[in-house]
Amino acid sequence: MMKSLRKFLVLQLSLMMALCLGACSGGGSGQAEDPSAKTVKIGVLVSDTTSAEALAFRSYYEDYIKSVYNVEFMFSDELKDAAAEQSAIDNFIANNCQGIISMASADRPAQIEKCESEKIYYAVATGTLTDEQYETYKGYEYYVGAIGPDLSIEYQTGYDMAKYFLDQGYTKFGMFTGASVYFTEMHIYRAAGMLAAMCDAGNGTYNGVTGMDIVGKIMADGGEVTTGKIGSIELNGVVSGYDFDDAWFGKLAAVANDPEVEVLLAVGSGQVTFAGFKPEGKMLGDIDCYTADSVGLMEAGTLNYLAGKFSASIGPIFAATLSAAYGKPIRTSEGNAFALSQGYWVAKDAETAKKYYEVDSSVTDPAYSKEQLDTLIGASYDDFAKFVSAYSFDEIKK
Amino acid sequence: MSRGKRIAGALAIPAGVLIVCMLISMSCGVSLFGSPLSRITFVRAGANVLLVTFALSINLNSGRFDFSIGSAALLSSVISSMITLKLNAGPVVMLILSVVIGGILGLLSGFVYVTVKLPPIIVSLGMALFYEGMAFTLTGGHGVSFASNTALLGFGTVTNYLLISAAALILMIAVFDHTSFGYEYKALVSGQKVAVNTGIREVPNALICYLIAGALMGAQGFISATNNGAITMSLNFGSISPMFMAFLPMFIGGFIGRYTSDKVGYLLGALTSATISLTYIRLDIPSSTQQIVSALLMVTFLIYLNNEGKLKQLLKH
Amino acid sequence: MKNRQRKINAAGILNAAPVIGLILLAAVFVIIALVKDINLSYSFKNIVNQSIITMVVATGAIYIYTLGAFDISLGASMCVSAIVGAMAFNRTGSLAVMLAVCLGCAVLISLISSLLASVFNLPVFVTTIAMLSLLNALVMVLIRANGTGDVVQVPAAAVRSINNVWFRLLVLALFMILCVTTFNYMKLGRQEKFVGGNPLCAKLTGMNAKKLSVIGFMMAGIGVGLGAFLTIVYAPTLSRNTAGSVGMDVIISIVFGGMPVSGGARSRITSAAVGALSMTMLSQIMLVLNLDSGISQMVKAAIFLLVVSVSMLNSRKQILPR
Repeated sequence: MMKSLRKFLVLQLSLMMALCLGACSGGGSGQAEDPSAKTVKIGVLVSDTTSAEALAFRSYYEDYIKSVYNVEFMFSDELKDAAAEQSAIDNFIANNCQGIISMASADRPAQIEKCESEKIYYAVATGTLTDEQYETYKGYEYYVGAIGPDLSIEYQTGYDMAKYFLDQGYTKFGMFTGASVYFTEMHIYRAAGMLAAMCDAGNGTYNGVTGMDIVGKIMADGGEVTTGKIGSIELNGVVSGYDFDDAWFGKLAAVANDPEVEVLLAVGSGQVTFAGFKPEGKMLGDIDCYTADSVGLMEAGTLNYLAGKFSASIGPIFAATLSAAYGKPIRTSEGNAFALSQGYWVAKDAETAKKYYEVDSSVTDPAYSKEQLDTLIGASYDDFAKFVSAYSFDEIKK
Repeated sequence: MSRGKRIAGALAIPAGVLIVCMLISMSCGVSLFGSPLSRITFVRAGANVLLVTFALSINLNSGRFDFSIGSAALLSSVISSMITLKLNAGPVVMLILSVVIGGILGLLSGFVYVTVKLPPIIVSLGMALFYEGMAFTLTGGHGVSFASNTALLGFGTVTNYLLISAAALILMIAVFDHTSFGYEYKALVSGQKVAVNTGIREVPNALICYLIAGALMGAQGFISATNNGAITMSLNFGSISPMFMAFLPMFIGGFIGRYTSDKVGYLLGALTSATISLTYIRLDIPSSTQQIVSALLMVTFLIYLNNEGKLKQLLKH
Repeated sequence: MKNRQRKINAAGILNAAPVIGLILLAAVFVIIALVKDINLSYSFKNIVNQSIITMVVATGAIYIYTLGAFDISLGASMCVSAIVGAMAFNRTGSLAVMLAVCLGCAVLISLISSLLASVFNLPVFVTTIAMLSLLNALVMVLIRANGTGDVVQVPAAAVRSINNVWFRLLVLALFMILCVTTFNYMKLGRQEKFVGGNPLCAKLTGMNAKKLSVIGFMMAGIGVGLGAFLTIVYAPTLSRNTAGSVGMDVIISIVFGGMPVSGGARSRITSAAVGALSMTMLSQIMLVLNLDSGISQMVKAAIFLLVVSVSMLNSRKQILPR
């Protein structure tokens, strides 16, 4: 009897699945007649759910944007690989999302292809496509565009940070190169920028190369940055990866406390890597985002330079996605998707960091308010590009 | 076995590893313990590994595999640091809170285990997910940061790490080797059914085991947190990795336990492991090489351990 | 007599708890889907689609679990197999070669694990922990050797024709037929259950536990190899994080499906499929409810423990399980 019960249950379940699979041909997102009156569902792909930056972005969308627009956000789980990204997009399609904003980059071409075939608007936030990818996908109807720091901005951000300390006369450095050993381009470009600044200031080369060529050198070395003299500048310690074991923490402590290191530069996560080990008197520069903790560290003198993304920087890409969902996509004069670059807010003192953070964390009056974003819905490409390019704190608050 | 033989047997592995590591370092022109920082790093790694090894071994020796110990360390350090920062208190308060909360979390895991009577590995999977989720929710996903709190960061000294290690060792020896609970624990380890039939109360024994393991992980969470001034969040079993660092010292400890107490064996195993970690740091060994070397060391040691008799016979011939 | 019959009935219902749990989860999902604006047909297709890879790998892993053993390195093994398979495809342009290499690589890794365990008498779990470290390091070495940044890619166009739910279902069906036949209707399954349930008795009756262990690991290897192949087809960009969650997903699915972790006579080959579907269904419910990541994980943990507790109610003993 029990065997029969089990068989019946399994049969029932199989039937349910089969019926649903059979009926799936009718799937896809519907389009309402008056889209602005209907809640627009937007899926957000996130590769990291626990970083300060990812949490700040989520807060801006959920705590501010959702309260002032008729939209609903769905956030993916942490997406570690391309397969997880595909599954998350499938989940959003099943939930009738009209647009997807991606902050995950394991396989952007696959994301774009999938969204195009499923007729869902797709936009890239906090990053950009490569030139080759852009040429391939710029004409796709459902590809909205990308806004974020491109790789040249990442390089320049690293360069500027190192130069800031070099200009003050510091000559002995230690670096945290993050995911460079996993070949993460963003971190490699930032590290290369720092090394290029050292080459310029020290009148030397990094293992025989200078400038942008350092990117290729790091890639060729398996993402490793090596210590040594760069002209008159010394790079005396390097830590990479995210092992979080005793050896890794030990290396961080060793570099942070090395008497032959005056300045610690981090391509990211400097606040959770070097900050805790750093003795007083040493300098620390980091590329990350503005949080209560980072402001606290700057006030305490633990952190001395911060190039940070601001949470509202993902406002314009939301406006462009919403505009597309409303049937008013923003396209270039050639009818292509846009590719716009946006950089960081840089704070060199606690007061500036505090000022940035107060605006950045506000859920009532953030850097990009509804009034500002409203001007982007249905805007021309030129107006949109002009708005995005004026990303500095002073320009936005003006 | 003579005393001299016992001492030699107990020290053979840690001393051998130390000598090999020192020789390798010297050949690379590096002194293994050349700076005060090296000594702190060594003692901290030793304390860290010792606490996890004790915590893991308590239940693993009883056939209870516990995936949740890392998440208990995470959650206890999150709660204790939040309270400590709110009260503007010092490291001692945070340590006590970590140990107490870790103990409570361990007890909760044990309570679920003895209540639902599921295999411990299953319970530990559920509890690991639960604790990770709770830590994430409590901090809004941000974790806890106190990198500029010199009082908490200042705890990391050789003396303090030695004190914690000594306290853990004394606790383990006192509780497991000199109390009726400890005798009952050993009886349950060697013959669960027979022990229960002779009247040993298994449930309280298991609960105390989980409580002690949780408290030890609380202390480990405290050391990790105060070491780098930040607690980062983990989801989807991201917290289980600390458990893996305890296997090699546990097996080494088990071997050394033939010559002395198994607790002292774990201590010497932890020191061996810390020596290897320090060598990685001093020689700047890449992470993937570290993984390969550590895995090969563990497999080689286990092959020796499990085939000792055959090897001895082979050598005789 | 009636009492006995009642007991048998109750035991049967408890055995069916994982399936009942899955149906309940499906019912909850349908109700939520009706309330919220959700494309139900696409959702079910999606759930099946997302469960298949875990189903395949976990079904193969049942052969290891039945022996009372445990392999934590399956995800890493799958990642290595997929990367080597993708590299083979990029050199030959043949999907058949890619499949053969994925299978060959996964079976080879499984054989190394089982031989280490059986020849050197190492505890299986510890062997797989060491293998996990070695394979994770190997992934980085392979990616570096491939020389294409942080990923190894197969052109999406090359796998587009088979990148659909029906192909995946076909692979699953074929593998399930192989597994159900060998596990339920052949000597292999019965011997595995015997060895897992009572190794000493099995040895005394002349069974070769080492040989069975090697065969069990080989079957698991086939599952991992097929999982690697399906992963490339589904998402042809592979990185060091590929299949990162598979190891734990497999354990959770097997347990959620009602399989006893101690193996033995109560092992069921279909547990993995039921468990994988349940886990995906639960994840979908959490997604639709749009809960905070932490709360979502706590709810999942509670439901997991609840379902497994109910399914194992009839296997409780006087002493605590180990």
